[in-house]
Amino acid sequence: MKTIITDFNYLAAKTLDEALDLLCKHKDDDYRIIAGGQSLNTAMKHRLLTPEYILDIKGVADLDYVRFDEKEGLKIGALATHRSVELSPVVREKYEVLREMEENVASIETRNWGTLMGDLCNADPAVDPAPPLIALDAEITVSAKGEERTVPAEEFAVDFFETVVQPGEMATEIRVPPLPPNTGVHFMKYSQIHGDYALASASVLITLDAAKEQCVNARIGLGGVGVTPIRAKKAEEVLKGKKITDEVLAEAARVASEETSPISGIEASADYKRELAGTLVRRVGKEALERARRA
Amino acid sequence: MSEYSIIGKPTPNVDGPAKVTGEARYTIDMTLPHMLYGKLLRSPYPHARILSIDTSAAEKLPGVKAVITGKDTPGGKWGLWRRFRELSDQQALATDKVRFIGDPVAAVAATTEEIAERALDLIEVDYEPLPAVFDPIEAIKDDAPMVHEDFPSNINATRHIEWGDVDAAFAKADYIREDRFVLEAAHPCAMEVHNSLASYDKGTGRLTVWTSTGSPYFVQQNLADALKMREGDIRVIKPHVGGHFGGKNSTMPDSVNAAILSMKTGRPVKIVFNRDEEFTTTEHRTAQHMALKLGLKKNGEIVAFEVKAMTNGGAYTGLGATTLYLTGTFITMPYKIPNYRYDGVRTYTNIVWGTSIRGFGSVPGKYCSETQLDRAAKDLGIDPLEIRRINAVAPGYTAPGQYTFESCGIQPCIEKMAVRVKEKWPKIEQDEGIGYCAFAYMTGGIFNWIDTPYAYSSAHIKVNWDGTVDLYSQAADVGQGHNTVAAMICAEELGIGLDDIRLHMGDTAHAYTDLGAWGSRETLMNGNAIKDAAAQVKQKLIDIARMKLGENIAYDFVARDKRVFLELRPERGVSYYDLVKDAIRHNDGVPLTGTGHYTPHNKGMISPAYAMGIMAIKAKVDRETGHVTAQDVLVVHDSGQIINPLGARGQTEGCIHMGLGYGLCEEMPMDQGMLLNPEFVDYKILRTRDMPEIEIMHVPTYEPNGPFGAKEAAEATIAPAAPSLANAIYQACGAEFFSNVLKPEKVLKAIRAKEAQNNATSQAKK
Amino acid sequence: MKQQLNIVVNGEPRELFIEPKTLLVQVIREHLGLTGTHQACDSSSCAACTVVVDGMAVKSCSILALQVNGREVLTVEGLAQGPNLHPIQQAFIDNWAFQCGFCTSGQIMATKALLDENPDPTREEVQAQLDGHLCRCTGYNMINEAVRDAAKRIKAQKETANSEKGAK
Ligand SMILES: Cc1cc2nc3c(=O)[nH]c(=O)nc-3n(C[C@H](O)[C@H](O)[C@H](O)COP(=O)(O)OP(=O)(O)OC[C@H]3O[C@@H](n4cnc5c(N)ncnc54)[C@H](O)[C@@H]3O)c2cc1C
Ligand code: FES
Ligand code: FES
Repeated sequence: MKTIITDFNYLAAKTLDEALDLLCKHKDDDYRIIAGGQSLNTAMKHRLLTPEYILDIKGVADLDYVRFDEKEGLKIGALATHRSVELSPVVREKYEVLREMEENVASIETRNWGTLMGDLCNADPAVDPAPPLIALDAEITVSAKGEERTVPAEEFAVDFFETVVQPGEMATEIRVPPLPPNTGVHFMKYSQIHGDYALASASVLITLDAAKEQCVNARIGLGGVGVTPIRAKKAEEVLKGKKITDEVLAEAARVASEETSPISGIEASADYKRELAGTLVRRVGKEALERARRA
Repeated sequence: MSEYSIIGKPTPNVDGPAKVTGEARYTIDMTLPHMLYGKLLRSPYPHARILSIDTSAAEKLPGVKAVITGKDTPGGKWGLWRRFRELSDQQALATDKVRFIGDPVAAVAATTEEIAERALDLIEVDYEPLPAVFDPIEAIKDDAPMVHEDFPSNINATRHIEWGDVDAAFAKADYIREDRFVLEAAHPCAMEVHNSLASYDKGTGRLTVWTSTGSPYFVQQNLADALKMREGDIRVIKPHVGGHFGGKNSTMPDSVNAAILSMKTGRPVKIVFNRDEEFTTTEHRTAQHMALKLGLKKNGEIVAFEVKAMTNGGAYTGLGATTLYLTGTFITMPYKIPNYRYDGVRTYTNIVWGTSIRGFGSVPGKYCSETQLDRAAKDLGIDPLEIRRINAVAPGYTAPGQYTFESCGIQPCIEKMAVRVKEKWPKIEQDEGIGYCAFAYMTGGIFNWIDTPYAYSSAHIKVNWDGTVDLYSQAADVGQGHNTVAAMICAEELGIGLDDIRLHMGDTAHAYTDLGAWGSRETLMNGNAIKDAAAQVKQKLIDIARMKLGENIAYDFVARDKRVFLELRPERGVSYYDLVKDAIRHNDGVPLTGTGHYTPHNKGMISPAYAMGIMAIKAKVDRETGHVTAQDVLVVHDSGQIINPLGARGQTEGCIHMGLGYGLCEEMPMDQGMLLNPEFVDYKILRTRDMPEIEIMHVPTYEPNGPFGAKEAAEATIAPAAPSLANAIYQACGAEFFSNVLKPEKVLKAIRAKEAQNNATSQAKK
Repeated sequence: MKQQLNIVVNGEPRELFIEPKTLLVQVIREHLGLTGTHQACDSSSCAACTVVVDGMAVKSCSILALQVNGREVLTVEGLAQGPNLHPIQQAFIDNWAFQCGFCTSGQIMATKALLDENPDPTREEVQAQLDGHLCRCTGYNMINEAVRDAAKRIKAQKETANSEKGAK
C-alpha cells in the first residue's frame, strides 16, 4: 500500500505565534501547512504534493475552540475538528444546521482528526461546510505575522483546490454572526452513497418579517456546482421581499440552477448537477421557511 | 433435519478468535528475515511495442538487489485452464508489446518498499505506441488493431449452445420481444489487495509461495507453467485471505514476479499491489453487450429464447472464456425453456481483462433476462411473480446436454414468496415498487478443463491417540466460512465435537488436491471428500466397537456425541476416545487415517447440484433526483440442507450487498483504456447506511449429491439483486433500464423517457 | 532526520525514532509488528486501519505518527484482557460479523469508541458511526447486530460487576 516516500523537514508549532513565525520564516519555501492531514497525507502518498517543509499546526491549542457569545456569534478556531463542531452544545443549540452538515461529512474517523478549517482550505468544490457558512454570512480570518484580514465565506475559495490564503498566511478563525430573529436555515447534500462528497449541496437561510409573512432576507450557498462553492445571489433576490410560496421557491430554484457552472464528471453530467442544485434549493428552502416560521 | 448434532446448527466461525484479536495472519501481514520488497513497473500505454528498456540507473540505486525485464523471466505462459493451452496468454513481464494500461514490463526487488518505488522511476522504457481498441464491437471489425497476433478479429473464445427448434418455436409464439443491453464492468474489490511472498531455496531449488488466493492448487499449476518448474517443487500456502469474490482465482503477476525475483536474489521477496494497481490491473466482472429474444405463449409460457453475448474480454483470457460459456447456461435457469439458442463471443481488447467474478456467468445475463421477463409480463397482463411460477422448473428437469436439477425447490420458494410478500408489504406507497427475480446457480463447477489428474477434491484425516483429529485439505477458506463448514462436516460424520478438530487447510504440501474456492464448490466437493475421509475412519471405529461389544447381530452403528453405539439400542456403545485408543494401540500403532476424495460422475457439463430461489426487493424512486433506495429485501432460498445457518446468512447478505452495488453504483468507466475511478473515493461500494434489511427464508431440499444434502450458498443470490431492483423501479414508475448501474442521472432520464412516451400515447389517443 | 516519538500503545510505553513522513499505521504494523490493523486503500476511504487514539476512532493511515506523540493508542491487539476476549470481540464472533475478517479490526475499534460514548446505540446510530467502514463481505447488517449485542453484553457485565460490588 502507498506511503509517503518523499522526505520533508518537519516543523511543529504549539501556539499561534509560533505558527505565524514559522510561516513568516518559510514564506518563500516549498511548504505546506498540515492540520489533521486527512486530505494532505493522501495527496502526499500519491505524490501529488511533495513539499520540502511540513509546518504542523495540529498542536496549536490556542486555535482549538468553538465559542459563542450573543454579540459576536460563533467562533470556530482553525484547529477545531469537525467532530468538536458537531458535538458542540452551542452549535447544537444555536446553529443546528452546522451539526446537520457535520453529521454527513466523510466518516467519523475523518471528523475526529480532520479540522473544519482544513476542509475549507483544502477547497474541494464540494466541501460541505462552505454552503451553510455562506448562507450564515460567515467570515474567515486569515492571519500572517503581524497582520490579519477577514474574507467572506463565499470569497474564501478562488479556484479548484485554491483559496485566498497566500504564502506566509494561514486561516485562523471562522466567525458566524448571531442569527437574526425569525430566521431558519437548512442544508442538504446529495450523494448517491451515504457519506460521500456531494454531487451537489445547498444551504438556504430565510429571515421573515415580524409577522412571519414576508421574506426580509435570504442567503443561498451552493456546493459542488462550480470550481468553488458559490453564493446564488440572483436566487436570493427572487425570495427577498416576497411571501414565499411554492411557486416563489420554484422560481428561486430555477434561477439558482442558472447561476451554477458545474463540471461533468464520472458520476453525473453538468446538466444533471445543475438541475439537482435547483431541486435542492427548493427542498432546502422549504424547510428553511418552515424553520423560520417556527423560530 | 434434526438427526444431526452439528449440521444445521448456527455455529460461530472457527477462525473467529484469530480474526477478532488481530492474530489471524494474512499474506500482507507476513515478513521473513532478509526479505526484499518487489514492485512492478507498468505500461502507461494501452497498446505499444516495447523498443528498449534501460534498467541501468535503477540497478545502481543503493538498496536495489535486482531489476528484471521480460527477457530475464523463464518465459512460460499461463492463464486459462491447462486444457486450453492456446489461451494461456499471460506472462510474468511483457516481452514484445504491452496490451493494456498496467501491463507489467519490469520488476524490482529492493531492501525497502520505498527504494523499490524510487527504482521504478529510474527505469526507462522506450515504447512505440500502437493503435488500440477498447470496445468489443470495434474489436471484431476487419481493420481493428490486433491485440494478439494469432487471434484474427480479436476473437478470443466463442460458445454456441442450442437445443430444440428455436426458429420454428418463434414462428409459433404468440408474443415475441427483443431487447438489447449494455452491461457495465465491476471490480470484486477484495479488501486485501493481491499480494504474495515468495521464498526460493537455493540449495534444493524449491520454491515456497504464500499468496492471497482462492486456489493454491491453481497457483501451483500456473507457477509451474510460468517458471517452467515441476509442480512438486513449488509449495503454495494460502494464509487467511482478505476476500476473493472470484478476483483471486487466477494467478497474477505478483506471485510470479515475486518468485522470479526470489530466484534471482536468493532472498524472500514480497510484492503487494497498491489499491490503484488492484483496480487497474487485476481482474473484474466483464462488461458486455447482450441481445435477447423471448417468445411466449399468451398464457406466459416460454416457448423460445435466443441470447447473444459479446463480452469485452480485455487483454488476456483469465477465466473469462469460462464465464462466456456459463453466461449461456445460467441465463436459462430456473425456467423450462423448450427451445434455446446461445451465441457468445469474447473479444480481446486493450483493457484489463475480465474473469470469473462471484456469480460468474449469471450476473450480467440474469439482469437482462429478468428485466425483459417483467416487460413481457406487463405486456401480457400477467403478474410478475406468476410468470415466474408458470415457467419455473420441477425436480428432475434436464436442459438437453447441459444440466439436470436433481433437488429443486423453486416452486415452493415462489409459493412461499407470494405469501410472505402479502404479509410483509401489504401496502405500496407512491413511487414504490416490488421487483422479483428467480435464480439458480451451480454448486461446484464440473468442467474439468483445469486438466488435473487428481480428484476434484480430496481430504486427509489423521486421528491422534487422544482423539483429536487433524484434517488436511487444500480447500480454501477465503472468508466464506469453509473452515467452519469443513470442521462441522468432519465432526458430524465422526460423531465428535468441533473442539476435537484441528484444521490444516490451503497448503499444497499437506494434502492431495482440491481445486479451490470457485464455482461455489467447497461445501459440496470438499465437503464430500471430507465426509468420505471421515467415514473411512468411522468404519474402522465401528469395526472395533462391534468386536468390543461382541454383537452377533449386525445392528447398525452410529457415531454421535463422542460415542459409537447401536442405533436401536443406544445404551450399548463405546466412547469414541476409547475406540481411538484401541484402534491405534491394538493395531501395532498403525496410524488411524482416512483419505477421502470426490469427483462427480455423469452429472452433465456444469455442476452436480444447483441452489436456487427467488428474491423480491421493495424500492423507492425519487422522481426529482432519480435516487433509488432499496428499502427492503426478501429472499426465499433452496440451498439444500444448510450446513451452518450463520454462514449461509452471511453469504447471502454479502451477495446482496455486491449485487445491489452492481445494480446501483459500481462501474469502471474508462477513457482510451484508462480507468477513471481507481480508488475507493471514486469507485463506489455501498456502505452500511445504504444497505436495506434483509429477510431470508429457506425451503430446504435434500440434495443427493451434496454432503448431508447440502448445496451452495455463496453465489446464487448475487445475480438477482440488481434485476429485482430494476424491476421494482419499473413497477414503481414504468422506467425501463437496458443497463445496470442505476445512477441517479440514468434513472431520471429513464423516468423522463417514460413520461414522454406516456404523453405521446395519450396525445395519440386524443 | 529521524525524530523521537513517545506513545503508549495498548498500555505499553514505546519510544521510537522515526522519519517525520512515517504514518501512524506504519509505526503500528511495521515498527511494532501489530499487524492486526489492516490497510485496504490508499485514499483514506475504507477505515480498515482504524485505531483508537485517546478514546477517538481515527484512521491510522492518514495521520503522521508524530502527531500522536504523547498520546495513547489502542489497537485490536490491546482489546482482550489477558486470555479473555473483549465482549465486542465475542459478540462479533457469535453474530458472524465478519467473513474474511480483513476489515474487522477497524470495525471493532470503531465499535469500541462508539460504545464508550454511547452505550446503547440504535441500528441507525450504529450505521452512522460505522458508515466509513467498507466491508466487501458481510453486507453490514450482521456487523450492526453484533455491535448492539456487544452493547448488551457490556451492560450485563457492568451490572454483574455492580451487583458483586453491592454484595460485598
Ligand atoms: C474519504 C474522505 C471523504 C471525505 N468526505 C468529505 C465530505 O463528504 N465532505 C467534506 O466537506 N469533506 C470531506 N472530506 C474532507 C475532510 O473533511 C478533510 O480532509 C478534512 O477536514 C481536512 O482537515 P485536516 O485538518 O485534516 O486538513 P489537512 O489535510 O491537514 O489540510 C488540508 C489542506 O488545507 C491546508 N490547511 C489546513 N489548515 C489550514 C489553515 N489553518 N490555514 C491554511 N491552510 C490550511 C493544508 O495545507 C492542506 O492543503 C473527506 C475526506 C476524506 C479522506
Ligand atoms: S487504509 Fe483505508 S482508510 Fe486507512
Ligand atoms: S469481513 Fe471481509 S471485508 Fe469485512
